[in-house]
Amino acid sequence: MGSLHDRQWLTAGRNMTATELRAVDDPTYLEIQRFLFRETALLDRRDYGGWLALTTQDIRYRVSAMVARDAGAEPVDYAIVDEDQVGLKSRIDQISNPRLTRAENPPSMTRRVVSNIEAYDGESAGQFLVKSYLLAFRSRSSAPEGGFYVAERWDVLRRTAGGWRLAKRDVHLDHVMLFDGALSTLL
Amino acid sequence: MPASVGGMNGWVDIARGLVSRDIFVNDEICRMEFERIFDRTWTFLAHETEISRPGDYLSRTLGSAPVIVVREADGAVHALLNSCRHRGARVCRADSGNARNFVCPYHGWTYERSGRLVTTTFDRHLPKDFDFSSQGLARVPRLEAYKGLIFGSWNAEVAPLAEYLGDIAWYIDPFLARTHQGMQVLAPPHRWRAKCNWKIGALNFVGDSQHILTTHVGPLTLDPVRAARAGFATAAENSFQVVTDQGHGCTLTYLAPGLPEEAYQTHPPDLEPLYAERLPADQLQLLKRLRVIVGTIFPNLSFIETQVGPAQKAVIMRQWQPVSGTEMEILSWVLAEKEASADYKEQVLRKGFHNFGAAGVFEQDDLELWASATYASNNPVAKQFPYSFHTALPYINSPEKDHKWPGRAFKPADTEVAQLEFMRQWDRCMTASG
Repeated sequence: MGSLHDRQWLTAGRNMTATELRAVDDPTYLEIQRFLFRETALLDRRDYGGWLALTTQDIRYRVSAMVARDAGAEPVDYAIVDEDQVGLKSRIDQISNPRLTRAENPPSMTRRVVSNIEAYDGESAGQFLVKSYLLAFRSRSSAPEGGFYVAERWDVLRRTAGGWRLAKRDVHLDHVMLFDGALSTLL
Repeated sequence: MPASVGGMNGWVDIARGLVSRDIFVNDEICRMEFERIFDRTWTFLAHETEISRPGDYLSRTLGSAPVIVVREADGAVHALLNSCRHRGARVCRADSGNARNFVCPYHGWTYERSGRLVTTTFDRHLPKDFDFSSQGLARVPRLEAYKGLIFGSWNAEVAPLAEYLGDIAWYIDPFLARTHQGMQVLAPPHRWRAKCNWKIGALNFVGDSQHILTTHVGPLTLDPVRAARAGFATAAENSFQVVTDQGHGCTLTYLAPGLPEEAYQTHPPDLEPLYAERLPADQLQLLKRLRVIVGTIFPNLSFIETQVGPAQKAVIMRQWQPVSGTEMEILSWVLAEKEASADYKEQVLRKGFHNFGAAGVFEQDDLELWASATYASNNPVAKQFPYSFHTALPYINSPEKDHKWPGRAFKPADTEVAQLEFMRQWDRCMTASG
């Protein structure tokens, strides 16, 4: 299992070629897809507590954006969110309590579309590497016209006795410049 | 000259503690700000550690214009207008990179890192008297660094940087130069746009202690060390604001007396001895029991070092770059001491952007409210009612008489003196003749 500082681990899936990855069988794929749709629905309903319950204790949640570099130059990204469970819970405690947030009260209206799901066997039995595309629309009272966050996500999912759990989420935003204030929701 | 509105004179009425709303939304005034402020004074360009190797370059904005900041083989730094002398294309379109020379992608004009024109690729068709030496990329005429901060100015006549920084330099030394090797930028800056006027950010950082407990009720309530209730003693006897003659300012918030220092450990134990080696006694004294320093170097470079949550001390730097009257681009850097361990730097970086940055838990609430202020002020009705800076008035003419450090100090720390002084400098620049 990767440590907190292990960048290699964080970006492992993205740097692997298709031949190194073994796709899961169809029943597993359907279970994974069902899990992603379920946790997405929880986020769109702002049931952050319910969503957090679907994550593992060692969850790592990271969101990064890109630096615009010349083709051929070494790609550079930078994290804008990088949390363990404590940090993630603290973010959630803030945005889910109307008394403790200005950005999310009134709450953002969000709709997340998850597609292009690819699922592979992970590093160990019961662990899976899942890639998905995310199109997340957000509209707020201060920016009613709204805007899209567009990303490729690499998740690590685990099949546990209690059901499927999210152990890692690495959100690579396709943005060189973010918009509309500061990101106050989860992707 | 601005019209009189809402019973005030001009844009900034110091005597009445009023400031025009129009200057926080008006595109024409924003255009004038580029001419009268940003293209005349010093503004921040980059931190030296962002371009540490020869050939490293960054695309940045200086005042109204795009520039390339590049490190030369001999270590020198150049800043060049990022627009080809031939037909104006952006020579560098990447945010950062490493280059031996710069080739314009449009017709191939090629420049050295110093900006000197090497070839136009059609040199054979040039008139015989074509002067290569005068056709290089336009150089930023003034470029100076202070403790790792590279500043530039389009104004060849601008006063030296040290003079421009004036007394604020003494206050930024303990943050940018408290160890022998100084600070380093830990990651590329967060970069994003917000629908609010750039001055709201500058004012917020120069000295707006009044917003902390209302805007940031979330992170302060959730702070495991209960900073909101105990540590944020803005009214504590030893907390104060500083303003300088150039409109720079900062607010220093100290731990309230009687609180156990160990519960508010602010510096890693292995770094603290290094501060003592580097800093004179009174600047070391400034750091002791400090909870937050937050400040703005006029016009648009801000910094904050804060002890909120578990003991990680990140210095955050911040630039508020105007886009229009109602929009700005924000750049946000996290810095730590070069001598610090890799683990500490990683912690500081993550904690830094947990709090401040494109998804920061403090930032998200600030920007929501700043955008709402910009939105709600941008109409003829609202513009009849100037912004209030009234809590500056009982204090602005009474600096602390026994202040022993540079600049003018004002107590208590939670008034609007530094903000009104920032606006005074803004007004001076905007209404100066010539």
